[in-house]
Amino acid sequence: MHALLGENGAGKSTLMSVLYGLYRPDEGVLRLEGEPTTIDSPRRAIELGIGMVHQHFMLVPVMTVAENIVLADEPRRGLLLDVRAAAERVRELSDRYGLAVDPYARVGDVSVGTQQRVEILRALYRGADVLILDEPTAVLTAQETAELFKILRALTAEGKSVAFISHKLREVLAISDRVSVLRRGKKVATVDTAGATEESLAKLMVGREVLFRVAKEARATGDALLRVAGLEVDDDRGLHAVRDVSFEVHGGEIVGVAGVDDNGQAELVEALTGLRRPLAGTIEVAGHDVTAAGVRGKLAAGIGHIAEDRHRRGLVLDFSLSENLCLREYRKPLLSRLGLLSPKKMNQRAGPLLEEYDVRGGSCDTLASALSGGNQQKVVIAREIAQEPAVLVAAQPTRGLDVGAIEFVHRRLVEQRDAGRAVLLVSLELDELRSLADRVLVLYDGQIVAELAPEASEEEFGVAMLGGGQREQPA
Amino acid sequence: MSAAPAALARGLGRARSAERSVWVGWGGVALGFLAFYLALPPLLIRSAVPSLVVSAAAVAAGAWTVGAGRRRLGWGAVVAGVFGAIGAVAATRSAVGNLENVVVWSALVAAMLRYATPLTFAALGGVVSERSGVVNIGLEGMMLTGAFFAIWGADQTGGWVGGLLVGMLAGGLLALVHAVFAISLRADQIVSGTAINLLALGITGYVFLHDYGNQGTPEGLPQAPDVHLPLGGIPVLESLQNLNVLVWLSLALVPLVWLAIFRTPLGLRLRSVGENPRAAATVGISVLRTRYLAVVASGMLAAMGGAFLSIGFVHSFSQNMTAGRGFIALAAVIFGKWRPGGALAAALLFGFSSALAQRLPVFSPSTATLLQALPYVLTLVAVAGLIGRSTPPAADGVPYTKE
Amino acid sequence: MSTPVTVASRLSGYLRGGGIITPLLTALVAFLIGGVVVAITGANPFSTYKAIFDGSGLNWLFPWISSTDRQTAALNLQQTLLLTTPLILVGMAVAYAFRAGLFNIGGQGQYLVGSFAAVWTGSTLGGLPAVVHVVVAIAAGTLAGAAWGGIAGVLKATTGANEVISTIMLNYCALWIGVWAFGLGGPLHSSSQKSVPISNEVLQGAKLPVFWGDAELQGLHIGFFVSLVMLALFWVLLNRSVAGYEARAVGFNPDAAEYGGIDAGRTFARVMLLCGAFAGLAGTLDVLGWQFTVATNDIQNSSAGIGFLGIAVALLGRNTAVGVFFSSLLFGALLNGTSVRNLDPAVFPPELAGNLTLIVQGLIVLLVSAPVLVTSVLALRRRGARGEPKEAEA
Repeated sequence: MHALLGENGAGKSTLMSVLYGLYRPDEGVLRLEGEPTTIDSPRRAIELGIGMVHQHFMLVPVMTVAENIVLADEPRRGLLLDVRAAAERVRELSDRYGLAVDPYARVGDVSVGTQQRVEILRALYRGADVLILDEPTAVLTAQETAELFKILRALTAEGKSVAFISHKLREVLAISDRVSVLRRGKKVATVDTAGATEESLAKLMVGREVLFRVAKEARATGDALLRVAGLEVDDDRGLHAVRDVSFEVHGGEIVGVAGVDDNGQAELVEALTGLRRPLAGTIEVAGHDVTAAGVRGKLAAGIGHIAEDRHRRGLVLDFSLSENLCLREYRKPLLSRLGLLSPKKMNQRAGPLLEEYDVRGGSCDTLASALSGGNQQKVVIAREIAQEPAVLVAAQPTRGLDVGAIEFVHRRLVEQRDAGRAVLLVSLELDELRSLADRVLVLYDGQIVAELAPEASEEEFGVAMLGGGQREQPA
Repeated sequence: MSAAPAALARGLGRARSAERSVWVGWGGVALGFLAFYLALPPLLIRSAVPSLVVSAAAVAAGAWTVGAGRRRLGWGAVVAGVFGAIGAVAATRSAVGNLENVVVWSALVAAMLRYATPLTFAALGGVVSERSGVVNIGLEGMMLTGAFFAIWGADQTGGWVGGLLVGMLAGGLLALVHAVFAISLRADQIVSGTAINLLALGITGYVFLHDYGNQGTPEGLPQAPDVHLPLGGIPVLESLQNLNVLVWLSLALVPLVWLAIFRTPLGLRLRSVGENPRAAATVGISVLRTRYLAVVASGMLAAMGGAFLSIGFVHSFSQNMTAGRGFIALAAVIFGKWRPGGALAAALLFGFSSALAQRLPVFSPSTATLLQALPYVLTLVAVAGLIGRSTPPAADGVPYTKE
Repeated sequence: MSTPVTVASRLSGYLRGGGIITPLLTALVAFLIGGVVVAITGANPFSTYKAIFDGSGLNWLFPWISSTDRQTAALNLQQTLLLTTPLILVGMAVAYAFRAGLFNIGGQGQYLVGSFAAVWTGSTLGGLPAVVHVVVAIAAGTLAGAAWGGIAGVLKATTGANEVISTIMLNYCALWIGVWAFGLGGPLHSSSQKSVPISNEVLQGAKLPVFWGDAELQGLHIGFFVSLVMLALFWVLLNRSVAGYEARAVGFNPDAAEYGGIDAGRTFARVMLLCGAFAGLAGTLDVLGWQFTVATNDIQNSSAGIGFLGIAVALLGRNTAVGVFFSSLLFGALLNGTSVRNLDPAVFPPELAGNLTLIVQGLIVLLVSAPVLVTSVLALRRRGARGEPKEAEA
């Protein structure tokens, strides 16, 4: 079992997609059992015995488990699909490898862990000898992860090869025989797991020993500007995503929210910024209750929001920069009167912001889509900070940015803190949280399970993020 | 945590009663029809009381079904009950002679089947195309193309089979244009479908006038024959004794298309492409080829519907002769929840309303016209989700890109 | 990172597509193919297009033609502008919806409902003074269209019903309501012509005054200016108003719009209401300006009606105010130039020419539908002057 380790964006998923024929390599040779081969399509990869379990499952929710597994390689009876034979084959495979599934269940109705088993079974059904798993534990509970590992061990015992992509040190150490570490698209090293430790791998992965710290002075904190109590929020599927969350953010501090992806962060942010209506609990800004307010109300109350996905939410890519910069305040009398907008005033507002925030590659009339990611994010940040919010909610503000842009964003966030504002920083990057935040809340399964100082060890964070050692509660 | 078991128990109860609610719902619908039927020939009960009692039962059954969670069926039963009552009261107040004139069951059923046939063909086409993820607003145009080129082909080849094949070929070609734009060029499928309709209208009109001039298609061109069945005198089956061969073909295609979509490997691939094309691609299915196949097949099916109109029903062609039937077929696709059987049921319902509209003028010529709007109103209600939402395939209308 | 897919964002490449070159090229290719069709069927495409051009009366603009020619041309041009008037309005009805990410196929239904309300109020209410009567009839027609479009908008906002399907269904609902209302025995059937399915005629006081040409010979009525004023308002609405900004934001990216505090549902409803008003006004002006009656035959023959032409007008005009004006003029000229009255049958049979118009219209819509075609044309012109924006790693 071979693990592939690297930070977000180090090129792990891309490499594996090349192996599976989803992308074509620009250059280089691929050898399978010593033979150079080209894999130009998933079909070819399947023929060669390579199976892939995708990070985002490639399943059809409305079809049954058996239908999903046999898709594109169906048992037939005459012209027809042999449904019974398909279910029989699925049952055989699931018995042999200990992957319990009900062949007739609809994939959309079964749990995430089961869906992953379906993906593994699909690869096995096609006779895969090499199994690639792309961050398979990202969506699993601790219990499901343990079960997955058991399955993977059984598979290797049967003589299958498993390539395991992850950025979680502990998992890699627990499961793999050898580890290759990627950094910025290059293989840094391949080591035997036996001799490796968390620290040695982390060093290879990050490429530097010390944490990158933002120059930041200690400051006395002010009053509580954001106070959240007993917040309960549902997600789109109507499941409880945020459960009984209470915390405060004071003026002059950055509070980080850590956690594995999809543990309620998105819903928490949406509730705070008025995009989602909370079921229960209160949200107060500087002592005023704004729980029921919508987007405009929350904004007026002083909550700024650097949205998680600048393409989906933060920007209208087909709008000009000045139109984008006015997205949050176009209704203010400053920019419009009697329902009519003034382009001149919009430009007067936008121009200085573009300069102040050093947005390169465009002027007021340039379309947002023409800018690079870093400059797009500068536009979003400029707009939000220009509102002079009492509370700034920043959701993954550095996602997909290069080092220079990340530094810029970090500096701006610290500036806001130093100006006495309350900053809530939600991030998946532990490094970022530890270097920026004054204290860090850990969100697990919609609950705050710990509050840690940024100086706490990675071990402590890891334990908390994975549920703090507490056992899964029965549902 | 005591709420959870209670909710679970309720859920289980609902699951068990689901079967029962289906029966009650359909029973309600049947009662609604029965209420009306009592007041019509041959029974002709001249008092509204029995009908009203029965229709009240239908409404009650419907309400119960709605309560049990089957909203579309439940409301269907309620509506059937209300209409049954209204119809029965109207019937008891009108002259027996008129009633016997209009309500000739065998003729009504035969007419319903004839009106439903073009819709069934085209709706099957719509189901195939949309199941693969390509919205086909161009059904109307493909139908019209089929209608013209079937009669043109019958003229050229001297036989109705040749005509049908030429019509299907033309419909398939037009569908190919839609496919090239919607699939390969990733056009907006609604816009390109609209263009298909305009093109079909222009091309058929152009060639029709160019070849046949103002006299129209000549008399005596080959026609699709009727199938004679010795069923005379048998109460209900009587209506089936003289139907066109294409009517039977359309009915036969419904289970065939169902089998093809839900019980063959190709159908499985088709559905996977329409639901999650990236998933289909990762197991080695060619999304583009599958969609091309589906769209072209859909054009051929729609063209068969048009061909029935020209060589099986009216025996001539006139400009824009489909007159919106392609859109009714689209409505049948949606109303039938993207299933062949559902589409057939919707086509029959719409066909029945047309048949009734045809015979009703004895009572009131103007109200009969309003009945023609029924398919559209019902579809409007269906897409609005007022009676249970119709959910299209997940990737319907979304162009596929490989990233 | 996936950006949301809306009609507007998919067509945005085309919307932006540099200046007037893309639409001109699109129209040119469509006419070229149309010319090939003409040539295949044995006529001379050049003289055919010349005859259509002359029939449209656009040669009136040439200073060198003789005075008798000019008189005929003036008559023809009046007819062309008569058709351009509603086309501008239905074009806006489709264009504004596109800008908000909606596809309004219901222009025809909204047009019909507007004309029904206009003919009803125009043929009754005899006691009103002329100006008031006209205003009342226009208001009635516009509001009726707005209501009809509003149904689709409100359904979309409240239940998420796909506006493409609902507007198609509303088209046919409008059609059958018209056939019923104005048909024999219908509630609004003509009181004088018992055997013809037609409405009463609009009273003299509700007719729009003719300002160019002879009122008896269908001269050009002042509705033309009404639609020009609406066009100017449309430009302001789209480019300078808060409502237009919100509509465009929702059209390009509903999620970002929501983040900006814009309620997408309410915007959809408002946009469709306005679109319906535009199309309803188109039907109103036609009825009060030159048709004066509504006949069920015309209602039923509406597959190629004015309302449907709005789609081609909007798409060719790139959903902008100026573009809508010129493409309305083009289609108005094409419709009029190929009409039985205006096309010289010796050059090309007018019945065929009507279908040629449909083919050209279909080709234009088809070519516009594929952003790839447009962007590849643009790419050729620019040869990658601007690099693609860097896509962040997912």
